[in-house]
Amino acid sequence: MAEAGGAVKKTDTEGRIWLGLLAVLALLAVIPGAIGNAFHAHVLVLILLYASMAQSWNILGGYCGQISFGHSVFFGIGAYGAGMAMVRYGSAPWLGVLAGALAASAVSVLISWPCFKLRGHYFAIATFAVVEIFGRLFLVWDWIGGALGLDYPIMDDSWTHFLWSSDKTGYYTGAVALFALVFGVVRSIEGRRLGYYMRAVREGQETAESLGVNSTHVKLTAMALSAFMAALCGAFFAQYNYRVDPPMVVSLDMSMKFVLITILGGMGTFWGPLLGAAVLIPLQEYTRTYLASLGAGVDQVIYGLLIIFMMVRQPRGIMGFLAEFGILGGRSDSAGKEAGDASP
Amino acid sequence: MFSGGATTCARSRRVLRSCILAVIFLLAAGSAFAAEEKVIKIGALFPLTGPAAVSGQNCLAAVQTAADIINGKYDFADFPLASKEGLLDGYRIEIVPGDHQGKPDVAKSEAERLFNQENVFAIIGSYNSSASKPASAVAERLKKIFMCGASSSAELTERGFNYFFRTAATDNIESREFIDYIDYLNKNEGAGIKTLGLLYENSEFGKHAAEEGKSVAAGIGLEVVADVPFTVGATNMSSEVQTLKSANPDAVFGAALGSDYSLMVRTMKQTSWAPKIFINYCTGYQNPSINKELGSDGNFFMGGMGYSPEIAEVYMKAALPAQEIYRAKTGFPLDSDSIQESVCLHVLAQAIEKAGAVDTEKVAALLRSETFPSPLSLSGQVAFSPGGQNNKAFTVITQIVDQKYRTVFPESYADSELTYPFPAWDKR
Amino acid sequence: MAESVCSRPSNGGTILADFSQVLIDGLMNGAIYALVAAGLSLIWGVMDVINFAHGEFLMVAMYACYWLGSLLGIDPLFSWVLTGAFLFFLSAASYLLVVRRCIGRSAMAPLLATFGLSIFLKNFCLNRFTPNFRLLSGTIMEGRVLHVMGASVPLPQLVTALFSLVVLGCLYYFIKRTRIGWAIQATAMDREAAELMGIDTGRIFTLVFGFGGMCVGIAGGFMTSYLAVFPEVGALFSLIAFVVVALGGFGSIPGALLAALLIGLVESFAGFYIAPVIKYVAVFALYVVVILIRPKGLFGW
Repeated sequence: MAEAGGAVKKTDTEGRIWLGLLAVLALLAVIPGAIGNAFHAHVLVLILLYASMAQSWNILGGYCGQISFGHSVFFGIGAYGAGMAMVRYGSAPWLGVLAGALAASAVSVLISWPCFKLRGHYFAIATFAVVEIFGRLFLVWDWIGGALGLDYPIMDDSWTHFLWSSDKTGYYTGAVALFALVFGVVRSIEGRRLGYYMRAVREGQETAESLGVNSTHVKLTAMALSAFMAALCGAFFAQYNYRVDPPMVVSLDMSMKFVLITILGGMGTFWGPLLGAAVLIPLQEYTRTYLASLGAGVDQVIYGLLIIFMMVRQPRGIMGFLAEFGILGGRSDSAGKEAGDASP
Repeated sequence: MFSGGATTCARSRRVLRSCILAVIFLLAAGSAFAAEEKVIKIGALFPLTGPAAVSGQNCLAAVQTAADIINGKYDFADFPLASKEGLLDGYRIEIVPGDHQGKPDVAKSEAERLFNQENVFAIIGSYNSSASKPASAVAERLKKIFMCGASSSAELTERGFNYFFRTAATDNIESREFIDYIDYLNKNEGAGIKTLGLLYENSEFGKHAAEEGKSVAAGIGLEVVADVPFTVGATNMSSEVQTLKSANPDAVFGAALGSDYSLMVRTMKQTSWAPKIFINYCTGYQNPSINKELGSDGNFFMGGMGYSPEIAEVYMKAALPAQEIYRAKTGFPLDSDSIQESVCLHVLAQAIEKAGAVDTEKVAALLRSETFPSPLSLSGQVAFSPGGQNNKAFTVITQIVDQKYRTVFPESYADSELTYPFPAWDKR
Repeated sequence: MAESVCSRPSNGGTILADFSQVLIDGLMNGAIYALVAAGLSLIWGVMDVINFAHGEFLMVAMYACYWLGSLLGIDPLFSWVLTGAFLFFLSAASYLLVVRRCIGRSAMAPLLATFGLSIFLKNFCLNRFTPNFRLLSGTIMEGRVLHVMGASVPLPQLVTALFSLVVLGCLYYFIKRTRIGWAIQATAMDREAAELMGIDTGRIFTLVFGFGGMCVGIAGGFMTSYLAVFPEVGALFSLIAFVVVALGGFGSIPGALLAALLIGLVESFAGFYIAPVIKYVAVFALYVVVILIRPKGLFGW
């Protein structure tokens, strides 16, 4: 698609960095013993997973400007899709994963179609309410196990069941695939008509509509896509942890992770979700393990202070910091995106 | 200018050289030193933060108490390994704590980290049944030992695991005991208890306990007239207590932790209602700090316990010195939940000692086959059935009177008469 | 065995007694939610900021009241003044140090910054005060119960609820009838115009945040007379406060009161006549239903 000269150059650089990164990640998967079972492997897998989660949220929140705190619902539906297939039906998770993702998309469209009438904080609080409703209903829904949750059986490592114990290479490869999928989808949307429409809606819904953009259609498409991706991440989460129960997946805490990582990295940017995850996840994991001796909760105190610091100093997140120092200029339309610039 | 530069340059090179030498020396010394250390690392995975932090921190303190006793030289009567310093020929136990924050996914990754990074020999944990499940699954997959103290869900030992061992009584065992007691009261004291209500937190622990309660109640023809789950951390318990009051069951089984327990007690007092008999699973009832805070409002409630300071005075005297070490750490006496974690370490240590080596297969085989003396266990012994359940787990039913735990059942352990039915709130 | 009889109402009067109990519980709990939410409503109305740390302010107030009660023996009936004042300053400080620097630039930044503040406060208290549940006993109001139409009305909650109405009334009067209140309203309507009129809007914002905190400080002071204090105590109150404010409508104090009472009633009726475990589902479902019919809340403008 033809673009202004300057923009084309940036796309090329970004494209090269993207392919380079994918190559490195893929290489690590094939070199035997590169991943292993160390704690660092776990942190790497989590970074890729949370980056994918954040990027899925970014589709709706960053590019389309609809700040939702409800993504843990879709995450949870995906997780239960995988969990039900493995535990209740005793089969491989893959069909369950697909079913969960499709169900999440369907649910997302159903609940957002009325919610998109709301503006600003009202919409945000409506999404809180949705998470609470789903979370509590799941707790009493016996068909999915209710409060007891679903526990995975002990099985041999395999790709069929996507379960590993002695080595994380399988999980890592799956995480890279998920990461490539979600980021790849966003990359392709960025340059397509849908991407431009989304950004137009974000900048000013009424203006976009006056130019002929069907904002409802655009928002619903963004929502469905975002929910689908979030559900895939949820399925991975279930497979990784050998268990699903409602408070693990459908909770405000989990929803906040989707939001925080994206905003701390840089909302509405391609790299923001990855940067946010690359900083927050190691911080979260390493402070918990190494600061435990300082007393309970010290890691969380640091986490809280970091969030405050970032929001006070640079609400555009890490991408904002980088822009300040002239690195990774980013695309001209996304460089100026701040948390909450979205039209209320 | 040049000479100044050269001198500075030479000096900094010298400094750099001495630093490098110092580091090499330290590393060499360090590794030489490390080679001498005989340490058995044991992981302790508990909720040190989050909603269950009170219990989690107590459990960790209990494990550390046990480690202190094993590592040190104490002249305790009838206490295996206390008088010997450490294990085998000079090994000492080092506890490596892990915090799962009450989240099953964190429990899973912490278990992996403890085994793979910290190279712990075994893990003791994890209090919340929902966290113990994935953490012990990690251990089983890695063929490593997981000792579980206070997680009550019976499912944990119904998985056919080979490396999982749980010392506490399950909610199934406790339910049977409660029902046996009600049956006893009906037959011997004409108590006339015909209906049952259940009030439990809507979590893995509460839900499972309630299911067990319901299934054994049918066995003596007790009719379940109220089944009331509640949200953890609720802002009020008005609807819950009112629902119970209007169904008015003769007996209620309760499963509420911490603050919910105190809210429940106070709400019952405000509505001037109580069943004839209220028995609790391992919950806020067994927590000494809660009972201190509740004061006289906590009187006449009942629960199943594997330990109380009052029971120890009479039946578990060997545990009293250990309790003092624990009290120095937390300011409270041992409680029924945290003591199980101590038991786990003591039993594991004895198995290692008996195996003569820090070898998982040998130790696990002994755990599966031997009976171990356990001064911190009410029955005095611990032995595991296939699947990992301690078949010598034993609890008594106690009632709080004058803010003290009085044992009322079984008869051989009873030190008081039961106050039945629950006295009216305004007549106390 | 001791022979005592628990008080049991006769079958005929039970239905009416149950109904009046549910009604009174709902109104009381609703009034208490209103007191917790009042401060949030004020802050949102004037500054368009959702204070995510609101529940943690409540928790801090409850700890303050607990320590005043257990260490100095001051009853919550009197210590609420002190906790209110303490929270005024804490809240104003939060504004000056944190919120002021993110406001205006983005809509999400203050919300996330206060989210960070909530995590900080909660874990700071966990670290310093241990997670043990603290229950204040021996207070003046404790354990006293009134009986009205067959329903039991506990005195601590009743006093808290009535006081909440008083506080809300005072707050409303303050906003509508005093000069500072007019300045606040002016700032809320149009910040630039207010500046042009000579109002120091920065100071107004500090004051508003302070008053918002003071309201929740008073709430915390009273609530310690019947609730246990622990680091997570504010969580659910926080969520309900958000829903109350959004349901009542942006910036409306009467709206917040009405919404809170409605929520208290829905919670109470759903909790008893349907099932206690879904009482909060009903509350959040109510919000979703109302907001779809009236997207700006009941009284929003």
